[in-house]
Amino acid sequence: MEFFVPKIDNRKKRIQKIAVISVILCGIVLAAAFLNSQIKNFFYVSSQPIRNYFLSAGLSASNQIGFLFNFSKIRGENEELKEKNYELLTKISLLLENREESSAMSEVFSVCREKKFTVVLAKMSGYDNQDMISIDRGTEDGIEEGMPVINQHNILFGKIYKVYKNFAQVMLISNKNSVVNVQIQQQNSEDPVVNGSVKGEGDLSAILDIVPIDSLISSGQTLTVSALDQTFPKDILIGEISEVFKNDQKPFQQAKINLFFDLKKAENLFVITNYKKN
Amino acid sequence: MWVKIFISAILLYFIALLQNSFFVYFNIFGAVPNFIFIFFFLIVFLNQKENYYETIFYSLLAGFFLDVFSSFRMGVSIVALLIIGILIKKIILMLKKNEREYPFIYFIAIFTASFLAYCVSLEIYLCILSQCQILSIFSASFLTEFFYTLFFATLVFLICKNVLKNKKNSLQTGLLKNVFQ
Repeated sequence: MEFFVPKIDNRKKRIQKIAVISVILCGIVLAAAFLNSQIKNFFYVSSQPIRNYFLSAGLSASNQIGFLFNFSKIRGENEELKEKNYELLTKISLLLENREESSAMSEVFSVCREKKFTVVLAKMSGYDNQDMISIDRGTEDGIEEGMPVINQHNILFGKIYKVYKNFAQVMLISNKNSVVNVQIQQQNSEDPVVNGSVKGEGDLSAILDIVPIDSLISSGQTLTVSALDQTFPKDILIGEISEVFKNDQKPFQQAKINLFFDLKKAENLFVITNYKKN
Repeated sequence: MWVKIFISAILLYFIALLQNSFFVYFNIFGAVPNFIFIFFFLIVFLNQKENYYETIFYSLLAGFFLDVFSSFRMGVSIVALLIIGILIKKIILMLKKNEREYPFIYFIAIFTASFLAYCVSLEIYLCILSQCQILSIFSASFLTEFFYTLFFATLVFLICKNVLKNKKNSLQTGLLKNVFQ
C-alpha cells in the first residue's frame, strides 16, 4: 500500500498546480475584460505615431506595387475622372432632389438638406477583418455611437460602432450587420422613385436587396442614402449597381453593387456630429 | 525564458501594428493575414520543451494583442488561444512520441484545425452577443483570410525549419569535430 502513496501525492500536487494556474488565468482574463476600454485606449494612443507611419508606408508601398501593374498616365487620368465623377454624381443627386421638391414628401425631406451638419475631421488609424476601421477621434472630441462617417466626396463609409476616450471604431457599410435604406437614382426624373436596402456582405462588399420585382433597375445606376434611413442623412453616395439578379418567383430583386468607399482614400474622414433623425 | 517572452511581447506588438496598419492596403477582398496567429502557432508548434508554461504565456500575449486591435472585447482571443494553444501542445507531444521531426503535413493539418477553431470561437462569441453568423465561417471571406494567412504561415514555417535544420547540422558537425579532436 505504501508503494502507491507518492503517486497519489504527485497527482494531488498536479491538480493543485492546475487549479492555481486556472485561477490566475481566470483573474487575468476577467481583469482584461473589465479594463477593456482603458487598455484599448492606452494602446491606441501610445501606438498612434507608429500606426500613422505604417499606414503611410503601406499606402505608398501599395501604390508602388500598383504602379508596376498600371501605366502611370492611365492611373492618373483614372483618379482624376473618378474625382470628377463623384462631384457630378453629387450634383445629379442634388438636382434630382430639387426637381422633386415640389412634392409634399420632398418638403419634409428638404428639412434635412437645409440643416447644416457639423463635422469632425478624423484620420483612419487601423482596420480589422470584421469590416471595421478605427479613427483617431473619441469621446473627448464629441464622438458618439451611431454617428455617420463620410469622406470629402460625400461618400458614406459607415457609422460609429464603439467609442473610446481617444479613438472610435467605425462599422463600415460592408459589415455583415450593416443595413442602409437607399434610393436608386433614376436617369429620367419622371420615373418613379425606387427604394431598397444595401446589406453588408463582408469582404468590403455589399448587395442591394428588397427592391420590388416590378421596379426597373439596371447596372450603372447610382445609390444614395434614402430619406427613410434612420441612421444616415439622405443623398450621401453609397455605390453603383453592377449586376441585377431578378427572379420572377421572388417578391424582391437583388443586385450586386460596387461600393464607392475605398480604404486607400480613407485618410481624411468626417464624422457628422449633429445629425439626428426626428 | 523571461527575456525570450519579453522580446516576443515587443515583437508581437509590432506585428499587431503592422497587421492593423501597413497590411490594410494589401487586403484581398477585405482579408488581411493574421500574423499574430501565425507567430503564436509557430512558437507553440516548434517549441521543443515538454511543459505547458511557455504555451500559456504565448497564448496570453498573442490573445492580448489580437484583442487590443480588434473590435472584440478584451479576453475573447485570450481564452480562445489558451484553449487552442494547450490542445496544439498536447497533439504535438502525442506526435512527438512517434516522430522525431515534424513533417510539413502535420504543420498544414494542425494549422488548419487551429485556425478554424479560432474563427469558430470568435463566431461563438458573436452568437453570445446575438450577432450570430456561424455559417459565415464557410464564407468566401473566411477562405480568403485562411489561405492568405496559410501562405505566410507556410513561408515562415519553411524558413524556421531550414534555420533549425542548419543549426542542428552545425551542432552535429561541431560535436563530431570535438570527438575526433
